[in-house]
Amino acid sequence: MDMHITDIKNPEINHENDPENMSLHERPSISIRAKVAISFSLFFILSFTVTGWSYWILTKLETKIDFLEIADNYMAEIQQARRFEKNYLLYSTDLEEALEHLKTADAILKQKNEQIEKILEKEHFKTMVTYMSKYHNQLVLLRSAKNDKEKELIVPMLRQFGSQMVSFAGEFVEKEQISAKRMFLLAKRVPLYFMSVLFVLMSFVLMFLARQLLLTLNRFMEYTKRIGEGDFSPILPARKYKDEFTKLAEAFNHMIKELDHKHNVLLESHKLRAIGTLVAGVAHELNNPLNNTLLTASMLTEDFHTLSEEEKMEMVNDVINETERAQRVVKNLLDFAREGETAIAPLEIGKIVEDSTRLVVNQVKFAKVNLELNCETNLPRIHGDEQKLKQVFVNLILNAVDVLTPGGQIRIHVQKDQTPGYVLVTVKDNGPGIPEHIQGRIFDPFFTTKAQSKGTGLGLSVSQGIIKKLGGYIHLTSNPDKGTIFTVSLPTTESASEIMSK
Amino acid sequence: MSKQPLKIMLIDDENIVGKRLKPALEKTGDIVETFEEGEKALARFDETPFDIVVTDIRMENIDGIEILEQVLAKSGRTKVIIITGYATVEIAREALSKGAFDFIAKPFKPADLRGIIERASKELRSGFLHTT
Repeated sequence: MDMHITDIKNPEINHENDPENMSLHERPSISIRAKVAISFSLFFILSFTVTGWSYWILTKLETKIDFLEIADNYMAEIQQARRFEKNYLLYSTDLEEALEHLKTADAILKQKNEQIEKILEKEHFKTMVTYMSKYHNQLVLLRSAKNDKEKELIVPMLRQFGSQMVSFAGEFVEKEQISAKRMFLLAKRVPLYFMSVLFVLMSFVLMFLARQLLLTLNRFMEYTKRIGEGDFSPILPARKYKDEFTKLAEAFNHMIKELDHKHNVLLESHKLRAIGTLVAGVAHELNNPLNNTLLTASMLTEDFHTLSEEEKMEMVNDVINETERAQRVVKNLLDFAREGETAIAPLEIGKIVEDSTRLVVNQVKFAKVNLELNCETNLPRIHGDEQKLKQVFVNLILNAVDVLTPGGQIRIHVQKDQTPGYVLVTVKDNGPGIPEHIQGRIFDPFFTTKAQSKGTGLGLSVSQGIIKKLGGYIHLTSNPDKGTIFTVSLPTTESASEIMSK
Repeated sequence: MSKQPLKIMLIDDENIVGKRLKPALEKTGDIVETFEEGEKALARFDETPFDIVVTDIRMENIDGIEILEQVLAKSGRTKVIIITGYATVEIAREALSKGAFDFIAKPFKPADLRGIIERASKELRSGFLHTT
C-alpha cells in the first residue's frame, strides 16, 4: 500500500536528459506561468495606481468643498458687515450689527484656521486676516467718531479696506470654485481613461498570450500529423526560450523514440510474415533441384558400371548445376531475411525490383498470373536500404498476386520520374481494383481486406513507412474496371541528401 | 507367362526428371514416354492410351490435378501417380479423392517410384478394377 502511495506521489516524468532533448533544453526559460504572472502584476499595479490617485483627488476635492462652504459663510458675513456699514453711513443705523457680523467672520477664520490656511497658504491667509483687521479697526474708529468731519476722514480708508477685503476673498472663492470644477471634471473622466487604457492593454496581452498559445498548439498539431505519417525525427526548438510546452516537446520526443522503436519491431515482424509466405514458394523451388540431384546421383550409383564416361560426366555436371541452383534460391531468401541495421547505400533500383520479382516467382507461378518487368536502362542510383526496399516491392507484388485470378497480369515499370531527381516504380495489376471508400484507409496499420489468417494489415503501412523514411512517397490509383496501380517514387542519390537534410 | 510391357507416361516440367527416370523405369521392360508440358502429354494420350501416368503437380498452364482429371475421364483404368513438390496432406488428399493411385513427394529416389509403379502394375495385371 505504501509503495502504491509513493508511486502516485512521484509521477515526475523527466525526459530532460534524453539525448534527443538536449537542444530543447539548452535555452533560457520563460514559462507561461511567469508570463501570466507578469501580466497580472502589471494590471494590479495599474489598478492600484488609478485607485490611489482617485482616492487622493477625491480627498482633495472634499477639502476644497469644505473650504468653499467656509469661504461662503465668511463671504456672507463680511458682505453683511459691509451692508450694515453702508446703512450706517446712509441712514445712520446701528453700526453694532456690522461689527457683530465681522466678529462672526473672524470667528469662522479662527475656528477653521488650519483648513483655510492649507488652501490659501500662509501668506494669503495673513493678507486676508490683515485686510479684515484693518477694516475692523476702521469700523471701530468710525463708531468712535464724534462728528461728520471725523467720519469723512475715516470713510475712504474704511471703503478701501472693505472692498479690498471682499474682493480678495471673492477672488479666492472664485479661483477655488474653478479649480474644484476642474477637479470634478478630471475625477469624472479618469475612470473612462482608465477603462480605455485597460481595454487596450487587456486586448494586447490577450492577443499576445493567445497567439503564443495557439501558435504553439498549432505547431504541436503539425507534429502529431507528421508523427502519424511515420516521420519519427525528434522535435527541434522553434523558439529562443523554453516554457511549459518544452516539457510537452520533451515528452513528445520520448514518445517518438518509443514509436520509432515499436515501428522497427513492427517492420521486423512484418518481414517475418513475408518470409513465411515466401518460404512456401521457396520450399517448392528447392524441391526441384534437390529432386534432380537425388535422381541423378541415384542413377549414377545404380548404373555406375554400365554408363559411359561421357554420361557419367554429364550426370556429375547436372549434380553440380542443380546444387548451385539450390544455393541461389537459398541465398536470395537469406538476403531478404537477413537481420540487420538499416544500411543506406546507393542502389540500382532496377536490380532491387528484379531481385524482388525473383523472390516471389513461385507465388506468381502458383497463382497462374503473368508478371512482366520493364526496366529503363541507365537510371540514376537511389538512396536506400536494399532489404527494406525489397520488402516493399515483394509486398506490392504479393498484394497484386492475392487479388488476381489465374490469367491475371502484373506489370512492373521502372522509369525516371517526371519530377527531376526521382525514379518511379509502378506496380500495376488488372485485378478487381480497390473500392473508393477504402482507398483512404489502405495505408492504415492493421487495415486489411484479406481474411484474418492471410493478412496482418501491416504490409502497406510498413511499406509507406519505409518509403517515407527514404524521402519518397507511395500512392495508389485504383479503378474498379482497370485494376490498381501502386506508384513508388524514390529520390536519386543526387537529390536524396537535400531531402534528408530538410 | 510373359509380361505384357506397360505403357508409362511421365510428365514433369523439369527436364532432368524425365532424362533420369526414363532409363530407370525402362529397366523393368516397360515403355516410357516423357513430356515437359501437360498439353503435349494430353494430346499424346488421345492418340494412344497409357497404363500408368506419372505427373508433377505444380506446372505452368496445366497442373497435375487437371491432368489427373482429364486422364481418368479418357481412360478409367489408367493408374495416375502424382508427384508433389511439397508433400502437404491437403494436396495428397485432394489427389487421392480425385482418383489418383498414389502420390510421391519430391525429392525421391528412382527406386521409390519404381515401387509404386510395381504396385500399380500388379493391380493392373490382376485385373482388379481400381475404384475410388
